[in-house]
Amino acid sequence: MPEHMLVVDLSSGWMRREEIPPELLRAYLGGRGLGVRLLRERHTLSPFDPAMPVVFAVGPLCGTPAPTSARIEVVSRSPLTGTVYDCSAGGRFAWRLRAAGLLAILVEGNSPRPVVLAVTSAGEELLPAEELWTKGVGETVSALSGRGSVAAIGPAGENGVLFSSVMMGEGNAVGRGGLGAVLGRKNLKAVTVDGDRTVPVADRVRFDRARADVLRLFRASPVIFGELGISEYGTPALVDLMRQRRMAPTENFRRTVFHGSSCYSGPAIRAAYGAKKEGCFGCPIRCKKRASDGRSLPEYETVSHFGALNGISDLHAIVRSNDACNDLGMDTISAAATLSAWGEARGRFPSPEEIGPLLHDIAHRRGEGDLLAEGSRRVAEALGKPGLSMSVKSLELPAYDPRGAYGMALAYVTSNRGGCHLRAYPISHEILRKPVASDRFTFSGKARMIKIAEDTNAAVDSLVACKFAFFGASLEEYAELLAGATGEHHTPQSLKEIGERIWLTERFYNARNGFTRADDDLPARFFTEAGSSGEGIDIPPIDRARFGEELTKYYRIRGLRDDGSFPDDGFLGRQP
Amino acid sequence: MRSLIAKYAGKMERDRSVVPGRAGIAAQDDVMLSEGAPDLSRLAADVLSHLSCLGVVAASPSLPFAEFLLRRANPDVKTIVPLDTETRTFLHDIPIVRREELAGNPARAIAALLSNRKGVIAEGVGIVASGPVTLEQAYINYSSVFHACYVKYLLEVLREGFLLPGEGEAFRAFRETFLRPLTAEGLSFRAGPLDDPGEVLSEIRAAGRYTVERGLVDSFFGNISYRVGGTIFISQTAASLDELAGCVDPVPTDNRSTTGITASSELLAHRRICEATGARAILHGHPKFAVAMSMLCDVKDCPVKDCWKDCTRVRMLGDTPVVAGEIGAGGLAVRVPPVIGGPGKAIVYGHGVFAIGRDGFGEAFRSMVDVENLCREEYFRRLDARGGHPSTSVSHIHSR
Repeated sequence: MPEHMLVVDLSSGWMRREEIPPELLRAYLGGRGLGVRLLRERHTLSPFDPAMPVVFAVGPLCGTPAPTSARIEVVSRSPLTGTVYDCSAGGRFAWRLRAAGLLAILVEGNSPRPVVLAVTSAGEELLPAEELWTKGVGETVSALSGRGSVAAIGPAGENGVLFSSVMMGEGNAVGRGGLGAVLGRKNLKAVTVDGDRTVPVADRVRFDRARADVLRLFRASPVIFGELGISEYGTPALVDLMRQRRMAPTENFRRTVFHGSSCYSGPAIRAAYGAKKEGCFGCPIRCKKRASDGRSLPEYETVSHFGALNGISDLHAIVRSNDACNDLGMDTISAAATLSAWGEARGRFPSPEEIGPLLHDIAHRRGEGDLLAEGSRRVAEALGKPGLSMSVKSLELPAYDPRGAYGMALAYVTSNRGGCHLRAYPISHEILRKPVASDRFTFSGKARMIKIAEDTNAAVDSLVACKFAFFGASLEEYAELLAGATGEHHTPQSLKEIGERIWLTERFYNARNGFTRADDDLPARFFTEAGSSGEGIDIPPIDRARFGEELTKYYRIRGLRDDGSFPDDGFLGRQP
Repeated sequence: MRSLIAKYAGKMERDRSVVPGRAGIAAQDDVMLSEGAPDLSRLAADVLSHLSCLGVVAASPSLPFAEFLLRRANPDVKTIVPLDTETRTFLHDIPIVRREELAGNPARAIAALLSNRKGVIAEGVGIVASGPVTLEQAYINYSSVFHACYVKYLLEVLREGFLLPGEGEAFRAFRETFLRPLTAEGLSFRAGPLDDPGEVLSEIRAAGRYTVERGLVDSFFGNISYRVGGTIFISQTAASLDELAGCVDPVPTDNRSTTGITASSELLAHRRICEATGARAILHGHPKFAVAMSMLCDVKDCPVKDCWKDCTRVRMLGDTPVVAGEIGAGGLAVRVPPVIGGPGKAIVYGHGVFAIGRDGFGEAFRSMVDVENLCREEYFRRLDARGGHPSTSVSHIHSR
């Protein structure tokens, strides 16, 4: 069945549905891979160049009953990091996009005035959105509620906050890298999708068997469906674990244990807010939690960074910070980490009472918020203390201290989008013991593990499936789902090879934009300062020599030179 | 990496899943490393060079059951489906590759199959298994295939008798030489009840190790717990019972903390068993004869198709109840607690044995030994009754 994408030129208002060449889908699947491929001719443009596209892409499993596969990838170049950038989000948007007969939307150009792109099965139109400009995400989504699922930016995106998000109407976020600001610069306030088509499954028997295998593995996974797992408590189930493992970043990563963390643990949130389960379309895990009053409750990263990283144990203040970021359209990890770096620089972390007004100042670029809107690296440099930005490639590190998991330390620096835990997700085996456990305090073997996981997850992000599914299932079952859905032959190995192509393409783009081995580094603090040792667990500084040795191994495994560069300039020319 | 290769080669010999000296293990870091029998380590490395994986194990199993299963299968059969539910959940099926398919480039032929499954049976070679994330995974997958073939072959022989030249002799050697008397003799257990966490952890480590050493579980499977007041100390998910140091989670019974998110997938079953029986010690293993015998059922024309999860009957093997139920968040945690209190032991259909100790692991361990001995005796009694010939009994094997 031919797949289509909608190409929208906001400058002229020109829109057209185009068939996606099947060979591109075979080589890149969809989602992240397709988005990265579609940037090929323009990857050196500035993120804010009108010609820089933003790609919304789903994967070949979207719209089928494949578990956790109704996810959207948004791909462009990040104004925060300067790297190629993608992020996936759940909710209903992806499903409704596929049901509108589209695998992707590519948006380019800058609209002369604020607009909403409205897509249905019958067609698409640009709607004036002057009355929505300056509005929060909640109000915007409400105003567009009759148009299906909504992806919108808030004031942060409009005002060019470098870590502004694209928010899904269901509360999910396309976060981290500031793609909200890219949409803001394009004057695109929101995209709505409201399709009604069904997606055929080529081999229903094969598909159903694979689906049953996936669900059985989900049930066998304590992380997913265990009574203490993410289905019950959401990702805040990790709060107690990270405290116990002594790797919860505290006070801008000066320490790794925060004694007030139990105030915002999974059980604490459930007790305080009567957290109820909510899921993305077709997802049986339902890890998202909503309060009895309908508010979207924070994820692990958010509670930990608005909590421990800023020395705050007030759960209600943390939830208010989450609410504010969601409505303003701002990434919670980078917002909290930027405030933390700024707090350490000025000698005092912000109090719970200060954080709310500061978040609004950031989103509207008022007062000190104007600098804070630039993210922690630029803040720390402006204050003359560059070492206080706990970031890699300008992307603030999430809530897993690298001194507590050496694979994570390596993966932070090899990530193509900057300091992200999800590219290789070694927390899965170093901490959560899935699919098997690895020794978190050794670098031995980690270079190969990280490389394989990066390739795997690039494929996962192109299917597009949720990483949490892989706490139980593996590419083995998802390759079967894909084969059942499309009728084409796929194996875990073939998917990893596709993932490798995607990963190397991203690295090549970054190299063309000036990134080198020098950018593949952790903040100096992790090599010179110990974490919070105790209870029989030692958290020493990371051995820089050993770290560097493993990074060199990683480059060799990737087929790169020891300085991290490509052996020749012809890589892209050899790719489909 | 070389130390890890040596570790898993040693484990395979100690658990008697491999012919001594007939294992090859390869692992790739930035360079390829391989150790063991020259032909097998070379094959392991060649296979690994075709895969995006960390390690590969290629070994001759200590029992020829995998080879027999391959040769008993029709020529058009491409996979063997494990009958026990635990390995089937994770393996789905086991590809087989015949001698003629290995004639050209055996590594490429095996790698093609391993690109889609965790382990392969290669005729004339043995079992080849991969580890996508860690080398340990390759060892685990080898062990899983070995376990699955062991159980499946026991059942096939009981159902169909010996079909190939040499099978009868090999099986007799298995029965008379390979199998050892199974006892708890010589093991030392604390009497309990235990209150000191240090003492509890030490006893869990010892009992876990005994369970592996006496062959009641393959290293990677099984789980173990001990309750002290409002805390259940339980082995972590994906923990080897013979390597439990640092791999036991203290889980509060009131769920005030989620630290136990890394606990065994059977945490709920352990908790419910504690609640239903008051037992402090719980041991769960996968003794192979008990797994096999639990899948024999006398009911004819039963409407239940997925017996392993949907059967609601409580059957008896001697004095031990047998119930069905999925692992993890499935039905096992519902069906085991009501039946285990009286006899102190229960078998889960096609999965394994739960055994309890009111105060200590000695009682639980001895119960598990008794169950396995009973099942072993009953198995051979039935086999002898048929003279090794195809069964005409009403008993049948639920294979779904």
